[in-house]
Amino acid sequence: MRRSLSGFAFALTLVVPGLALAAESWGLINEETARFEAKVVDVLCELTGDCPDHCGAGTRQLGLLTDEGRLVLVLKNQVPFAGAAEELFDFCGRRVVADGLFSTNRGHKVFALQFVRAVPDGEWRRANRFLLGWAERNGVDPKSKEAKQWFRNDPRVKARIAADGRLGLGLAADQEYLNR
Amino acid sequence: MKTASGAFLAGALVLALSAPSTAATPERVSVTGEIIDSWCYLTEIMYPEGSAHHECALWCAAGGVPVGLRADDGTVYIILKIGDEATSVANPRLMKIQSHEVSVEGDVFMRDGFNYLVIDRVANDAGIVNLTHDDYGIQPSGE
Repeated sequence: MRRSLSGFAFALTLVVPGLALAAESWGLINEETARFEAKVVDVLCELTGDCPDHCGAGTRQLGLLTDEGRLVLVLKNQVPFAGAAEELFDFCGRRVVADGLFSTNRGHKVFALQFVRAVPDGEWRRANRFLLGWAERNGVDPKSKEAKQWFRNDPRVKARIAADGRLGLGLAADQEYLNR
Repeated sequence: MKTASGAFLAGALVLALSAPSTAATPERVSVTGEIIDSWCYLTEIMYPEGSAHHECALWCAAGGVPVGLRADDGTVYIILKIGDEATSVANPRLMKIQSHEVSVEGDVFMRDGFNYLVIDRVANDAGIVNLTHDDYGIQPSGE
């Protein structure tokens, strides 16, 4: 019960009542704040016509298709080391207002989503639903330290590091490096 | 036969109408390069290559940040599919080759400044050959 209440309280923090906060600077290279309307699309579907239900329900990279026909790839959400598929897939095929940051570097203009709402009058929500989903999938309180450090506790990551080490060169290479 | 033709035409019409109007024509490619995390590489928020960045690249791949391939000529590709697996969010196969030097064959779709890669085949996997940890530590902390 305690966990349920805690989860509910955390879920409330996903919704931002009233006006959204403006996109927060992350100090990125050539950073620009942006708020624009677009349709949520499955990028692979958009390019190839291979279109599963619900844009793959969180299994595919998603984009924002503007009225001008420009496809904006969304690389990030607000959660450390996490992408945006889980923030957007329930808007699949629908128009949203996206609020976040562009960064232009190395010849590419990338977008990080910070807030999103459905057009015309959906409630703003923070782009941090990944964390709630991760906590549910892994049976932990979304406000726990374990969830906040999800990347250190993710079983898929732990399995890869157990197999190949933190450097990816084998456990002996890790040991040799860390001893130095 | 007439009915079958009609059904075929109707089906073709439905497919044509449901397919994205902007579907692009791909270019067939063979590419060699390093599997990267697209966000860290393109924003340079930290040192983003090789063994120094391997752990962080695993975190980002598990978190669903698009996995990319930086070709030897510097071109960056965003991987949308590998083999029969159309999953490009936390795909275990991509996590397994994160930071590796690979040679792949597939189709590239160019759209609005990005090269999107659909990989048919990984022809070679040389493992991690870009040994950067002595110079950059383990990112992002640099320990």
